[in-house]
Amino acid sequence: MYNLLVKDFKLGVNPWYLAMPVLTGALMLVPGWIYFLVLLYFCWITIPNMFAGFRTHNDLMFTAIMPVTKKDMVKARVLVIVCLELLHFAFAILFGAINRFLYPNFEYYFFAPTVGFLGLCFVMLAIFNLVFFPIYFKTAYKHGNAAIASITAAMLFAAGAQWLGIANADVSTVINDTGTGHLAAQSSVLIAGIAIFALFTMAAYRMAVRHFLKVEL
Amino acid sequence: MLALDIQNLNKKYDHFQLKNVTFQLEKGYIMGFIGANGAGKTTTIKSILNMIQLDSGDVRIMGKRMAEHELELKQDIGCAFGGIEFYTRSKIGKLTEVIKPFYKNWDDDTYYGYLKRFKLDENKKIAELSTGMKVKYNLAIALSHGAKLLILDEPTSGLDPVARDDLLDIFQTLVIDGEISILFSTHITSDLEKCADFITYIDNGQIINSADKEEFKASYRLLNGKESELGQVKDKLISYKINSFGFTGLIHAKDFDPASEIRSALPTLEEIMVYFAKKEEAYV
Repeated sequence: MYNLLVKDFKLGVNPWYLAMPVLTGALMLVPGWIYFLVLLYFCWITIPNMFAGFRTHNDLMFTAIMPVTKKDMVKARVLVIVCLELLHFAFAILFGAINRFLYPNFEYYFFAPTVGFLGLCFVMLAIFNLVFFPIYFKTAYKHGNAAIASITAAMLFAAGAQWLGIANADVSTVINDTGTGHLAAQSSVLIAGIAIFALFTMAAYRMAVRHFLKVEL
Repeated sequence: MLALDIQNLNKKYDHFQLKNVTFQLEKGYIMGFIGANGAGKTTTIKSILNMIQLDSGDVRIMGKRMAEHELELKQDIGCAFGGIEFYTRSKIGKLTEVIKPFYKNWDDDTYYGYLKRFKLDENKKIAELSTGMKVKYNLAIALSHGAKLLILDEPTSGLDPVARDDLLDIFQTLVIDGEISILFSTHITSDLEKCADFITYIDNGQIINSADKEEFKASYRLLNGKESELGQVKDKLISYKINSFGFTGLIHAKDFDPASEIRSALPTLEEIMVYFAKKEEAYV
């Protein structure tokens, strides 16, 4: 398993994809932007390019002839993506904190970079993972449909959540509070978001394994 | 001891099926696995490697069932798929660094020995290697992790005659001490005339014959006769061609009467393949 992770990071993950979290994370500095987009760049750019690379380099066959189980192949690939997602989160959080420091009194129309918003971002990527992995591992090389479906699902959630944040005063008050007044509620959203991320990703992994075991290489 | 024992593999696709594929490879020998394009060579090889789900059948490698001991057995198998390339923009050294931790018996001295012997430069990218050098790199990897069974799918396809000859010499050297066995699929039959000990011939998903090379060829006769003589053997011929001099046809040796006036000769592997393919056409 560990060897598969090393293989993906050495051969499949271009160093640029490790720099992307810094570059897209820096977009958190744009005042008043739709910050869901920061993490969506990972889905729009890194995912299609990286999986196209795996296909171009015949990674599936390369890996399958080595002494590894199909289950571990799925586990490693899911872990690589989760690692990259967490890296994107880390830099989004870092630049989000800088945003709050730079613009302390900003009136946010869209969601502010708060702890609560971070929870919503975890839910967004949880939905992405839940849709992407099971579809992708039906073939383990066709990433187009999986990316379209998962990105659409994640964007629909982001759009819905953002609409709710604008239309509903209570949601806006809780999530956009940059002070400490709603920190408990925001922390609950964050914890729930992380739990959903973990649960959905685990479920995605199990479904992906079930699909991949039927794939003929 | 059998390096490879394949029993009754069956796999049905919409337009193709493997039917009761059965053959055995003795340890320390080279088996040529021949058949036309689309005959089922790669499907059989993928079945051996547990890459496709069989409808039925059993694959044993070194006496152990592949379905139950896949990880353990893959430590002892080296593979090369002709025409399929991996991470071509990576340097040999980098690819090897990634591959070697997967194998518990990896030996760096053996690896560097083969790099030297095959004149492979670790700083070259895979894309910069010729087709023959790519096969040699695959062999170097397989031999460095102590593979006892080499499964090579069309390794000589696309090679020039000199590179092919060089590779065939290497195959022969590898099996000399009796530890390594090679299953080597190809549609270039002249390669097998030179280096194979056994021949397994697959046609349209079915094994036609699997035997010692000489025995394999001796089980057929190539007949040359006048058109007027065709009637004597027509029903027993596998297939035949009519030309301006008469006919040429392939027949099972057991079906041919040596006392007949029709001229007969031992066919080459290529002639056997061609006449079996012609038989298929006749039924289409």
